[in-house]
Amino acid sequence: MIDKQTEKKVKIINKTVESMKKGNKGLSGVSLPDVAKELSMPLLELTQFFLTVEDVFLNEQKRINRKLEKYIDRKLATAKNPNDAKEILEGFLDKFIEILPLNAEVILAATFYLPLCLEERKRAKANYKIKLKMIIKKGWPGKIESVLDRQTDLVLLSLYGFYDYCSRVKIGERREVLIDFKNMLNLHLQDRLFF
Amino acid sequence: MVFVDVNIKPKLKERVVNRAVKALKQHKSLDRISLPAIALELGVSIEDLQNYYSSVEDIFLKAQKKDWESIHRYWDKQILKSRTPGDYKNAFDLFFEQFVSSLSDDADMRLEMSCYLPSCIKYREKNKKKLRDKFYKVIKRGWPGKEEKVLSRQTELITILFYGFVDHVVHIPKIERKRILRDFRNMLNLHLQDRKFF
Repeated sequence: MIDKQTEKKVKIINKTVESMKKGNKGLSGVSLPDVAKELSMPLLELTQFFLTVEDVFLNEQKRINRKLEKYIDRKLATAKNPNDAKEILEGFLDKFIEILPLNAEVILAATFYLPLCLEERKRAKANYKIKLKMIIKKGWPGKIESVLDRQTDLVLLSLYGFYDYCSRVKIGERREVLIDFKNMLNLHLQDRLFF
Repeated sequence: MVFVDVNIKPKLKERVVNRAVKALKQHKSLDRISLPAIALELGVSIEDLQNYYSSVEDIFLKAQKKDWESIHRYWDKQILKSRTPGDYKNAFDLFFEQFVSSLSDDADMRLEMSCYLPSCIKYREKNKKKLRDKFYKVIKRGWPGKEEKVLSRQTELITILFYGFVDHVVHIPKIERKRILRDFRNMLNLHLQDRKFF
């Protein structure tokens, strides 16, 4: 059960996202005073959680990344054999579609524009790249360094395409494509003829 | 007799787009870019500019449309002259090559705007559907014998991967784009050749 403070925070995030989606003006159509008004919450109280609209989106973006990064770190620390490592990639994708919020496309749009979100995006991408390389190295051993690097890049870019897709569809559709997506990544990583 | 320079319009449009991208890079905020400011910097009247653009968002939208229309024109020609599976496979490859070679130095900023501005997002989604339909057609002819369901699912995956590729390739230096393109095409080919898909 979530506490009252977290509940308020979630309400603010949802309302901000909803306002941006509704307004069709991008972020310039959203302001914290308007969000506070719509939630019947004093602005002063709202600003105890977030100082700017950018702050709201950054918080949501970081929340998702933090969860996924924690998941990979925890699993990588306990992976003993290639199968364990392979399961990390699968589990990561499962977790990803599960925690991605319903209005994820709005968060995604903001991450392409807001400076702090762009920075976080860059940071997260670099971090996922390092971690993916570790997973691939453990899960599909025997690859030479250059192949490993190139395959990591391809898996990484595939993940961002998958993110773009999933953010715009419902969870059921995410699940449908997930099986195919996993198969495709596996096929690619099993490829012994890669160069 | 009055001679009209037919290049004036495209040149001005190009200058406007470049100016808008430069301003965005500099100010990191769309709120600080305006049509009057762009007109002033380019030494043209606001009325001249408003003949082509209604807002800053409109500048990015029209640039996005222009880029994609050019790629579609090129690709349509390749598809139209294809006869055999080999031709279609070639047309499939040429699409990616054309896409990468058409990317500008500031493609990262243009992508960011296409993923952020509401009208650009709308166009992006519309264009995605158009691309998916073409991928479907080309895959069907280039890799014949796939049953309908497999064809649809593979097309969806190729579209997903392509948009991941776009996001990746605009953020790396031009020289590296060609290298990753080769790997990317290998990956797609491997996927499309897969006879065990399901």
